[in-house]
Amino acid sequence: MTTKLFGEPVRRREDARLITGRGRYLDDIGAGALAAAFVRSPHAHARILDVDVEGALDVEGLVAIYTYEDLTGPMAEPLPVLIPHPQLHAPRTGYPLANGVVNHVGEPVVMVVATDRYVAEDAAERIVVGYEELPVVVGLDVAREARAAVHEDVPDNVAARHHQETGDVEPALAASPHTLTFTQTIERSACTPLEGKGVHARWDADDASLRVYSSTQASTSVRAAIAAKLELSLDRVEVIAPDVGGGFGVKIVHPWPEELLVPMAAIRLGREVKWAEDRREHFISSAHERGQRQEITVGYDDDGRITALDVHVWHDNGAYTPYGIIVPIVTATQLVGPYVIPVYRVVVESLYTNTVIVTPYRGAGRPQGCFAMERTMDRIADALGLDRAEVRRRNLIQADQFPYDQHLTFQDGRPVVYDSGDYPGLLDKLTALVGWEQAESMRAEAAGRGKLLGVGMALYVEGTGPGPYEGGHVQVLGSGKVLVSTGLTSQGQGHETVFAQIVASELGVPMEDVEVHTGDTRRFGYAVGTFASRAAVMSGNAVALAARGVKEKALRIAADVLEADPGDLEIDEGLVQVKGTPGTSIPLRTVAVLSNPLRYAFDEAAKQATQFAGPGDDSKPPVAAGDAPGLEYRDYYSPIRSTFASGAHAAVVEVDPQTWEIDVVTYAVVHDCGNVVNPMIVEGQVHGGVAQGVGGALYERMAYDADGQLQNASFMDFLMPYASEVPDVVIDHQQTPSPLNPLGIKGAGEAGVIPGSAALASAIEDAVGRRVAAMPISPSELYDLVRDETAERTAASARRTGVRA
Amino acid sequence: MNLDGSAVLHGSPDRVWAALTDPEVLARTIPGCGSLQRVGDDEYRMDVTVGVGAIRGTYAGEVRLTDQQPPSSYVMHASGAGAPGNLRAKVAIELVPSDAGTTTLTYSADAVVGGPVAGVGQRMITGVAKRMAGQFFTAIDAELTGAAAAPAAPRPTSAAVSSTTAPSAAPTRAAPVPAGTPALQAPGAPAAVAADLRTLAVGAIGGAGLTLLGVVVGWLLGRRRD
Repeated sequence: MTTKLFGEPVRRREDARLITGRGRYLDDIGAGALAAAFVRSPHAHARILDVDVEGALDVEGLVAIYTYEDLTGPMAEPLPVLIPHPQLHAPRTGYPLANGVVNHVGEPVVMVVATDRYVAEDAAERIVVGYEELPVVVGLDVAREARAAVHEDVPDNVAARHHQETGDVEPALAASPHTLTFTQTIERSACTPLEGKGVHARWDADDASLRVYSSTQASTSVRAAIAAKLELSLDRVEVIAPDVGGGFGVKIVHPWPEELLVPMAAIRLGREVKWAEDRREHFISSAHERGQRQEITVGYDDDGRITALDVHVWHDNGAYTPYGIIVPIVTATQLVGPYVIPVYRVVVESLYTNTVIVTPYRGAGRPQGCFAMERTMDRIADALGLDRAEVRRRNLIQADQFPYDQHLTFQDGRPVVYDSGDYPGLLDKLTALVGWEQAESMRAEAAGRGKLLGVGMALYVEGTGPGPYEGGHVQVLGSGKVLVSTGLTSQGQGHETVFAQIVASELGVPMEDVEVHTGDTRRFGYAVGTFASRAAVMSGNAVALAARGVKEKALRIAADVLEADPGDLEIDEGLVQVKGTPGTSIPLRTVAVLSNPLRYAFDEAAKQATQFAGPGDDSKPPVAAGDAPGLEYRDYYSPIRSTFASGAHAAVVEVDPQTWEIDVVTYAVVHDCGNVVNPMIVEGQVHGGVAQGVGGALYERMAYDADGQLQNASFMDFLMPYASEVPDVVIDHQQTPSPLNPLGIKGAGEAGVIPGSAALASAIEDAVGRRVAAMPISPSELYDLVRDETAERTAASARRTGVRA
Repeated sequence: MNLDGSAVLHGSPDRVWAALTDPEVLARTIPGCGSLQRVGDDEYRMDVTVGVGAIRGTYAGEVRLTDQQPPSSYVMHASGAGAPGNLRAKVAIELVPSDAGTTTLTYSADAVVGGPVAGVGQRMITGVAKRMAGQFFTAIDAELTGAAAAPAAPRPTSAAVSSTTAPSAAPTRAAPVPAGTPALQAPGAPAAVAADLRTLAVGAIGGAGLTLLGVVVGWLLGRRRD
């Protein structure tokens, strides 16, 4: 077969459109629509006393003003707890518009609709909301103290206490030859996609139908939520994710207040209404992640093998818990990484604070778990005077131990059973790739240039492709065009390319004949969404299965025409032919025409399928029982459980002892996501992930003050790595196919970000000889750390310099 | 939807009652009033032209009065319809003597707003209605105090109005308006009210609907004394 595209570095076919300004993003839609703007709470915690709209009434072009009093039926109820969990004992969610109380800065209080956004903003700023300020809870320490409560009926501020254990950890620790106990913290960050959220809604009163465009990662579920909240029949609502300028997790949360309020306004006003989030709105009213404090106790033997691990995490979930405790669960379960942990106990306390909600951001709790585990490995190595790579090697799950059961329950409710992997292989490739063995000579060379050089590494295992399912539909048209649709959404990952590669390979057609559609409920109504590195695994396999269904039908029809056995047929370059018999063939597009028996010949191709076109079999109906007209197939992929990808990152950093600037001079990645559909796209995902990992390690934080005001809610003050700060990434691949799915693939979307903070903390610590227990770390913080006489020195540094720790 | 408010008017309840029930006064004090017509016992019809810019529209309203206790209270049942929507309201009005020869007027409206205008949000409807009522009371008070001719009356605040001019004009006697007679043509609202109207840009549907509600309040007060 020549049409073998699976595994090839095919260039992204969506890029020409996206990078030449022909993308169709949310704000490109509905040029004549009314615009919505929101009056949002300026206080982190307050009672709303009154809303005075008088001043807004003079604004020419004002159309409507909505407050909580305008919400009826399910809209007046709290937003859904999307992912309930028995251990989320005190779930709380907000209302589409605040109902008497605001719990974080940025919470929507009033929606204004006007002829355009300028007018809407002008009117919004003239609306005066009276507040009575309430005590503010910001930060994990204040939340734990619980002198004030975010929600008065949750006096201890604890939303959930997530707990898993694989054995009796206390006796195991007591019996351990060595133990270490330490505390680490990770700051908040956020997805900050280039395109914020956005919603456009159009109500067709005559048809009683609603079309909503949303910059979402879950169009089918947004549709279901809108139907439920606005009390519409599901068949009257369609939701489309147009081109989406990045999601990284924040757009999996739904329904956002705006996703309900904009359609509500469109229905009430009978006009198109649109809202496109601005950057400040995104900072203060979308979602953040990452913020955790970790208390870790590890037991280990003289060889550095872990005997027991006890982890207590305090997780800041912000003001509400619409996305349940997914991030705590992922931290808890993915923390163990590629290691054998004989006894493990983890408790994650998820705490309310008067800050914006915390929901998955690329990595979704894994970077924190990885930080806990990998820094534990570094500390064991430091305490025993062992090489950090060697300690890891001794603790790795071996290649013959798969499937490996960690005896934990994952975020999909299924067991954490690693399906396949080769972790020693990853480590070997990584140390070779980064030149781990040459660290001391690199250090000496850098010292000669006046720089402090350090190396660090971090390994991870990432559960990807969780269920419950995705579906695919493949249809061959009489023109030869192959339409592929799947319900999950795209945010720039290259789905148009990889799904086309998969279908072209499965079906044996040129890739240019394949057209892929995602995230459009008009085309595919059943889907879960794009998150947890699941698109390739879930929809990739679903479209492959659908293509196989089409192929089977095509061969059956062609076998009739060619008077051959279907088993002797193959499809290559869009031609169905008898294997080994050139010339005995029929184009797939003709098969598509013949698959649909016709009465009317509307074009030349259709003539071939009409009732007098050829001799028919009068003993059979034109469409056999159980068959259907058309060359199309729909299938679903539903996995038994998640598949577990893995990888290893290493960083070489140089610190300038004058400025304490941290320069990442080498960043090495070994990546294993099973069979690779398109290595160029996987590498692109790794690069993007590394960029966000570097951001999380060195730059990004959400600077809330004690009053709950986000002080860096703009791109002037929120640092992100630019191209100048993102290191060149060297990548090596390893492929251990997943036995769980037909294509043998694992997810790749989030991997790149996971080990960033762990690997860079390890490298910086190695460079400066001071314990790095809090990330991100800025040059000023590094300077303070090094100057702090009480700061803990690493044993490795003491050994190197002769200074005792 | 409920809408409550009050205004302090410069005159005794009798004077206020008289002013409020003079069709000519009403025609020039109800914001946007185009015509008033008596269509039966205690039943009236009026046209109100509302809105500025894109919001322009004419709305027809009908009013029926019950429970009249001159000069202290009424209940008005009103309905109105125009392109942007319709309104049905029951409004209770009371006049109570107050300090220094003034009268405190209170109104309590229970309104049902329908059609597209109903979609613009409660606070916007009540906000505009209160403003319309405020404009009406300001204009009425100007009639009572003789300040109506002043070129630039102070902009009314929401529903409470005051005047620096002492009351001087005698109560205007209302001329009976027999059924079937031609409607009174409003000579044009006082300048201050017109200026306010021009700034009353509340969106196409909103402004019109709210004006109707404001007008309902005004119309209640504008019935002629039996």
